[in-house]
Amino acid sequence: MKRRDFIKYLGAGGIGTAMGIFFGKNTKPPGAKLIPYLVPPEEIVPGVGAWYSTLCAQCGAGCGIIVKVMAGRAKKIEGNPLHPVSRGRLCAMGQAAPQGLYNPDRIKGPLKRAGSRGSESFMEVSWEEALRTLAENLAGLKVKGSAEGLYVLAPPLRGHLDALIRDFTATFGSPNYLPYDLFDNRNLAFANAVSMGMESLPHYDIENTRYLVSFGADFSSTWLSPVNLSYGYGQMRQGSPGVRGTLVQVEPRMSLTGANADEWVPARPGTEGLVALAMAHVIVAEGRYRGREARQWRSLLEAFSPVEVAKVSEVEEKRIERLAHEFASTRPSLAIGGDVLSGYTDGVSGLVAVNILNHVAGNIGVKGGVVPNPVDPFFSAPGRDFTRSISTVRDAAESGALKTLLTYNANPLFTTPDNLRLRESLDKVPFMASLSSFMDETTAMADLVLPVHHFLEDWADDFCSPSVGKPVATIMQPAVSPKYNTMGAGDVFLELARRLRHEREKALSGGTEILGEFMDERFSVKDFQEHLKRSWRELHAKDRRLSGGNPTFEGFWNRLLKDGGWWPEGAPMEKGPAVRVKDVAAYMPKGASMFEGEEAKHPFYLMVYPQAGLLDGRGANSPWLQELPDPMTSVVWGSWVEINPATAMKLGIKEGEMVTVESPYGKIDAPAYLYPGIRPDTVAVPIGQGHRSYGRYAKETGANPMDILPSLQDKGSGALSLNSTRVNVSRSPKPGWMVKIEATKKEYGREIVQTVTPEEFERMNKEAT
Amino acid sequence: MKNLVISAVVFFVTFGIGYGINEAYLADRAPAQPIEFSHTIHAGDNSIPCMYCHIYAKRSRHAGVPNVQRCMGCHKIIKTDSPEVIKLVGYWDKKEPIPWVKVHNLPDHVYFPHKRHIRAGLECKECHGDVASMSRVKRVSPLKMGWCLKCHTKKKVENGRDCWTCHI
Repeated sequence: MKRRDFIKYLGAGGIGTAMGIFFGKNTKPPGAKLIPYLVPPEEIVPGVGAWYSTLCAQCGAGCGIIVKVMAGRAKKIEGNPLHPVSRGRLCAMGQAAPQGLYNPDRIKGPLKRAGSRGSESFMEVSWEEALRTLAENLAGLKVKGSAEGLYVLAPPLRGHLDALIRDFTATFGSPNYLPYDLFDNRNLAFANAVSMGMESLPHYDIENTRYLVSFGADFSSTWLSPVNLSYGYGQMRQGSPGVRGTLVQVEPRMSLTGANADEWVPARPGTEGLVALAMAHVIVAEGRYRGREARQWRSLLEAFSPVEVAKVSEVEEKRIERLAHEFASTRPSLAIGGDVLSGYTDGVSGLVAVNILNHVAGNIGVKGGVVPNPVDPFFSAPGRDFTRSISTVRDAAESGALKTLLTYNANPLFTTPDNLRLRESLDKVPFMASLSSFMDETTAMADLVLPVHHFLEDWADDFCSPSVGKPVATIMQPAVSPKYNTMGAGDVFLELARRLRHEREKALSGGTEILGEFMDERFSVKDFQEHLKRSWRELHAKDRRLSGGNPTFEGFWNRLLKDGGWWPEGAPMEKGPAVRVKDVAAYMPKGASMFEGEEAKHPFYLMVYPQAGLLDGRGANSPWLQELPDPMTSVVWGSWVEINPATAMKLGIKEGEMVTVESPYGKIDAPAYLYPGIRPDTVAVPIGQGHRSYGRYAKETGANPMDILPSLQDKGSGALSLNSTRVNVSRSPKPGWMVKIEATKKEYGREIVQTVTPEEFERMNKEAT
Repeated sequence: MKNLVISAVVFFVTFGIGYGINEAYLADRAPAQPIEFSHTIHAGDNSIPCMYCHIYAKRSRHAGVPNVQRCMGCHKIIKTDSPEVIKLVGYWDKKEPIPWVKVHNLPDHVYFPHKRHIRAGLECKECHGDVASMSRVKRVSPLKMGWCLKCHTKKKVENGRDCWTCHI
């Protein structure tokens, strides 16, 4: 080495060392400050989590949850182990709730529309101004004598918040408080009401059944009460030693539940109800039915012989007969129907058919069958209103009868078919206010945005429906204090009542009485927390089951908050109503369900289904749920179209290529996913993506199949028919891609799924013992 | 060209060495605090036990710095004329917490619970040194992994050398 070079390196080394020291000196490690509490909150120990029990409001199932809170922040959510519905388990949506609470796109304070409607340009206002604006608008309605022009749209709530909103709307003078949710089981409730006279959804006792036939109900992802039913399914399979229940899934597209089944029966879309009736036909015809009206049942089911049904459903006659025999002879057995089945244009008929099948097999009101739930045991909430639905709102807006629309956590603009023309109708509504945490499609149309607490910050309660055969009440209590300038939904309504009462007093002093009675003491409490507590105090005084073990109310209330709710001990009641021929005769299917579109032009049936984790699209603003791989396809962050590989080959479509799905009502583009678990004559698209608003994670991700659906509704129940159109599929020139976790569907000798023949299995079993 | 490469290599290596020297020898082990709180007076002269103020050490991963209310509990009456106590009262009156500077700081990827170490019977001073004689708290331990492991090995801690014991 030359002397010159040595000095150069020495120089470089010196500068390097000096800069290293300098760099270290000037970059302090993060969090280098210790900030103590000024006055420590009693229950907080820094570094140790406190668990609060509350209610999950991510969907309508009503699971009890426990929330881990550290230093005032919600860190982790689990199922409440004491709660009879969640039983210590929780689904992905529940787990992702903190991402709703701490979502950067939450609305941080009240907003007033600044630009044109739907342009999403708002200006911040104070709560005082926001509430005054709304109260003045309502008072104005009342003065003009058009109080019934107020429409309140909310998800189907069941507790005292529901009662408060109902009371508020009624006291104001409007009968128009409408519960709306895309997946609110309207068809199921209606079918059960007409065929069994049931006013509340029953408990499907999967846990104790030995033979389960599911007609399209995807209970492991989204149907009814997925946490409870998945737990029950686990118990059915492995709960008692030596007994393994059988699951048969009848559906044209294999769902997660279908993938778990022992037998997947891909009936032709729209014929699953007929398969159920054919099974009932076999049971009755072979004299296995032991109940009343045997002769009438025989004649009612005459037309649905396996021979006839096999022709339309493409399920072999022998198979139907075998399923019927197994269903009737395995005790207890259970048939359930939902999702795909209830989405058909005659979804009610299909669900009635399932009830008939349960009835003739003697499954109603027995353990391991359909266990009825008590009607809301604590106060007499009116039953479901099947006569009015989301189209009622559309019609009222169209005719000008709708003057002021108040939406609470409801997003009908995303969850209704474009063809319902709700957006155009709502444009005619003079005043829209939205109580929401996020700028969803409906909130973006509002004139006034009142941001409400996240459910982890709010008070409420719930009477689970479907429950588990006995009443279950769950309390929602704040696990954390409100992060933004928001208000509880109940508090908003109480505050409105207070202001309207004030307006009334003003009017009275002027000599005229114009406003309704908000003088009632129900509305004169300080806040919703007090309202809730008072309501429970009344229940405690009234109901001996509540006061039995807890004579003082304070003791009872504390236990309520600690346990997360109240539910009686003991087994559920097992006595069920019968299905009568005269009740169901009018709902017998006339054949396979109808689909819009000509077969020549639109050769494929379109099935849409709620994507696990996103449900009706509400989960799309959570990155956790977006990156949660779909259980069947493993796709993340986007939509896809499921196409059978044989069909795709015929159309020249490769996996991941963009395709256009075109119905008579419009078209959407999404990448193709070649799915062997779907019939060649069917394509499927998940619901949940394709938001126009709803924050940075949801916006413009994927496509919304609601855009291409016809706006068909069941005449009886008022539920939207989702599986009601045929489509054409073609290659799309648009660029696009699909991100999925799986690389290939083939094993390539990696022995991921190892198989043995039954004979070999028997031999191995013998050798082992 | 070759020179340049060697120079660069030398530079980066010595940069790391310099950074290490700073961490090990030159870093401020006894930073100035917003209030010149003296452990000599509290823990030394008046022998107040550590856990009278660091109340969470036994039940949490954090030992906890005393909340301002606890300081005021005594200093409403005691030594109210001392300039440092006047500073404390100033924070209290403004309803502001005192922004203490952290002396013992561990990176986020280390899970260190005080609770387990206290329950294992360790004295505070085994890691923190004789704080009772420090008028300004000084870090006496390197708080590096090797140092942790040396103790875990010596005391034969169950799973004490497992990665997941600290890096969870």
